[in-house]
Amino acid sequence: MAEQQKIADPVSLAALFAAFLQVSLFGFGGGLAWARYIVVEQRRWTSEEDFADIMSFCQFMPGPNMIGIAVCTGARLRGTAGTIAAMSGFLLVPGAIGFSLGMLYLRYTHIAVFRDILGGVSAAAAGLLIATGIRMLLPHRGRPIALFVAALTFGVMVFTNLPFLAVLFGMALVSLTVTQIEFSKAQ
Amino acid sequence: MNSLSDLVELSARLAMLSSISFGGFPTVLPDVRSFVVTTHGWMTDQEFTNFFALAQAIPGPNMILMMSFVGWKVWGMPGAIVSALATFGPACVLYFSVYRLWDRFRSAPWQRIARIGLAPVTIGLVIASGAVMARAADHDWRAATVTAAAAALMLLTRLNPIFVLVAGGVLGGLGVLR
Repeated sequence: MAEQQKIADPVSLAALFAAFLQVSLFGFGGGLAWARYIVVEQRRWTSEEDFADIMSFCQFMPGPNMIGIAVCTGARLRGTAGTIAAMSGFLLVPGAIGFSLGMLYLRYTHIAVFRDILGGVSAAAAGLLIATGIRMLLPHRGRPIALFVAALTFGVMVFTNLPFLAVLFGMALVSLTVTQIEFSKAQ
Repeated sequence: MNSLSDLVELSARLAMLSSISFGGFPTVLPDVRSFVVTTHGWMTDQEFTNFFALAQAIPGPNMILMMSFVGWKVWGMPGAIVSALATFGPACVLYFSVYRLWDRFRSAPWQRIARIGLAPVTIGLVIASGAVMARAADHDWRAATVTAAAAALMLLTRLNPIFVLVAGGVLGGLGVLR
């Protein structure tokens, strides 16, 4: 634990730029799996909990979530300069490549093998995202109520047609209330 | 060609919608659609849907890319750039300034509760979005096997995820999943 939280050298701005370039460029299905993999597992810039904290914050803010994760991770590690580095990495090159690919695709329309490849990549990307969530849940395994809330949120989202915002804020209210009660009992 | 005021109107709308899109930009897509298709007739419904599918298929900042396609349709290259800026600019300023504030109260008791209470909700949502994605991508047991294998590899090994994605793409490209 103590080992995980120790921050060795300040993260370089170039490394932040490169990390979020990678997140964006390889990020099929939103990039969250990559952001967690690079920030927590590969570079060990933050603990699992700190990353989950940033992710929660971004979920509850308006705007495109992934760019929010770049902005906040950059800010957390290197302040304003870090934010600009992470944001530029996330946007500039991948934006230019993505836009050009899109224009090409719109010109040459459907080629079957493209669709087949993309189909295989999406199937794998779905698996990565599921595994990312399970990994993030591991630090909470000692707290049954947290596992219950996560399972309930998952169930409501997958098996009902309730609007996303209702689930997000409804479950947040439930979970915060339970946590509040738990905390006041502990004191 | 559309007039300059069209570009101003589009970007103002995107900036406003992005700043209120709780739960991510996809939540305001219906409003963007009605604005550019129904209200202004800048593109057809089919074109808008194609932009969405395309942005999903391309890696990168999906929603920002999609809005650049929309802007390109309305005002060419300058339209694409301005629309992308309008989609992420104001939202980033908001993320940054509120996060600074949030970070300043890191050790406050209410934030400990918020942090511990909110994490399981967002984690549940992550796993759910993986499952929803799997439901869309896995048409039969073969694709479902790829999803399960990818999840297992990611959980049990420290393999770089790019190999998992490439393996999925190769299987797809060879027609194994068709």
